[in-house]
Amino acid sequence: MLEVRGISVAYGALSAVRNLSMTVADGAIVSLIGSNGAGKTTTMKAIIGLKAVSSGEIYLDGERVEGVPASQRVGRGIALSPEGRRVFPQMSVLDNLLVGAYSQRDAAQQRKTLDQIYGYFPRLVERRSQMAGSLSGGEQQMVAIGRALMARPRLLLLDEPSLGLAPIIVDEIARIIVEINRDIGMSIILVEQNAKLALNLCNEAFVLETGAVALSGKGKELLASDYVRRAYLGI
Amino acid sequence: MSMDFILAQTVVNGLMVGMIYVLMAIGFTMVFGIMRIVNFAHGEFYMIGAFLFAILYGSNGMPFAVSVLLAIGATALLGLLMERVVFRRFRGNELNGMIASVGVALILQNSALLLWGSSARTVPPVVSGVLSVGGIVFPWSRLVVIIGAIVAVVSLNLLIGHTRIGRAMRAVAQDSEIAQVQGIRVDVIFPAAFVLGVSLAAFAGVLMAPVLSVSPFIGLAPTLKAFVIVVIGGLGSVPGAVVGGLLIGLIESFAGTFVSASLSEILQFLVVIGVVLLRPQGLLGRKEREA
Repeated sequence: MLEVRGISVAYGALSAVRNLSMTVADGAIVSLIGSNGAGKTTTMKAIIGLKAVSSGEIYLDGERVEGVPASQRVGRGIALSPEGRRVFPQMSVLDNLLVGAYSQRDAAQQRKTLDQIYGYFPRLVERRSQMAGSLSGGEQQMVAIGRALMARPRLLLLDEPSLGLAPIIVDEIARIIVEINRDIGMSIILVEQNAKLALNLCNEAFVLETGAVALSGKGKELLASDYVRRAYLGI
Repeated sequence: MSMDFILAQTVVNGLMVGMIYVLMAIGFTMVFGIMRIVNFAHGEFYMIGAFLFAILYGSNGMPFAVSVLLAIGATALLGLLMERVVFRRFRGNELNGMIASVGVALILQNSALLLWGSSARTVPPVVSGVLSVGGIVFPWSRLVVIIGAIVAVVSLNLLIGHTRIGRAMRAVAQDSEIAQVQGIRVDVIFPAAFVLGVSLAAFAGVLMAPVLSVSPFIGLAPTLKAFVIVVIGGLGSVPGAVVGGLLIGLIESFAGTFVSASLSEILQFLVVIGVVLLRPQGLLGRKEREA
């Protein structure tokens, strides 16, 4: 599905990601964990095209995409639910979702996807004409994920979906992530500070430290690793 | 003249001027909301729209509808050119964009002066006669301006509120980075919004040309009014532009009729100062979020 080959990304003189490589198999959930500033969000931004790579390549289904502008990557099948949710605050929930379908012009298909998303997040049905900015954090997270799903991506990037949410909402979001992956076979990259959640959900995980991959492996294996337990799980 | 007659005239004048201001302010606020540019050349597009209409319809006797479409179309093209050459370089750079827009205003105004001379032109009325309601008469020439402006505002609202490109414009105004990730090309949305704003200004100029006279200097006042209205209504707020525009139009008309034109200016700016002191985000504006 996705292969990232030795990318480096810098903010001015400050290097945020150094020679990072990772692969995401078709239908897999891959987690990126690491502390603040480890380069998780920067990696996501490089994959979606919001941040240019200074070196390295990104292959989507075997085709190089690192030069494709962000606005055209969604058409190639990648969608992002960004860190901090970033819903359009002064637009209704429905309009937020419809903007997510900007790259999908088929109205019948849009309807179908919308129904599907309302199926995952029934709460959004009642909220559909409310301004997204007036929703609770959990509901905004649902809008952000729903908006990304409206593009019918094959690869979904979820950046910190649990950030600032009550545990019960985190459970609900986690359940839906698994459901989406299982139902549609959508590949997912999950960035999380909540390492336990991320490692439990994923097939494979990459631990980032200071912009590079420090460790990778199956989620369950990393959960058992002493290093990860000490550094990220506080056990 | 009876009091009823004067009152009715004053209301109609206030609404007419107010609706023109609404058209101006909406375009002004849209360009700011989406491109973050305070466009002090906005009124020059009003002036050019009015001039082109005066030449096509007034001097050359072309059919009304053709003159309207050509005047707006040509002004829109000029707007597109200005966006390409000047404004897109200043996107998001509020101070430099504002200074550049003053430069553009001077260039457009002086080009009009060179091309068309300084003398004022009049345009023959598009409609004549009056509408009589319960003994009070309203001249059609003014009602047409009000109706035309309402039609434009309603159409714009439908476009912004219910179409794919309208949603895209709102998305870009609210978070342009995240809008791009949805597949929206900001390099298409910016000029589209600019041209839309300019077209509204040109349409306002076309509507006003037969009511007032046309000269290269008529653009400044509507620019300042648009700025004032947007401050009153709230920067980036379309409903705020409607409320602010009608308020300023009615103040202008009532104070001008019953006291004096200078009082009307004083009152308008007192309203502005009051709003800035008591509700800095404008009547219907939202507080800027801390970045």
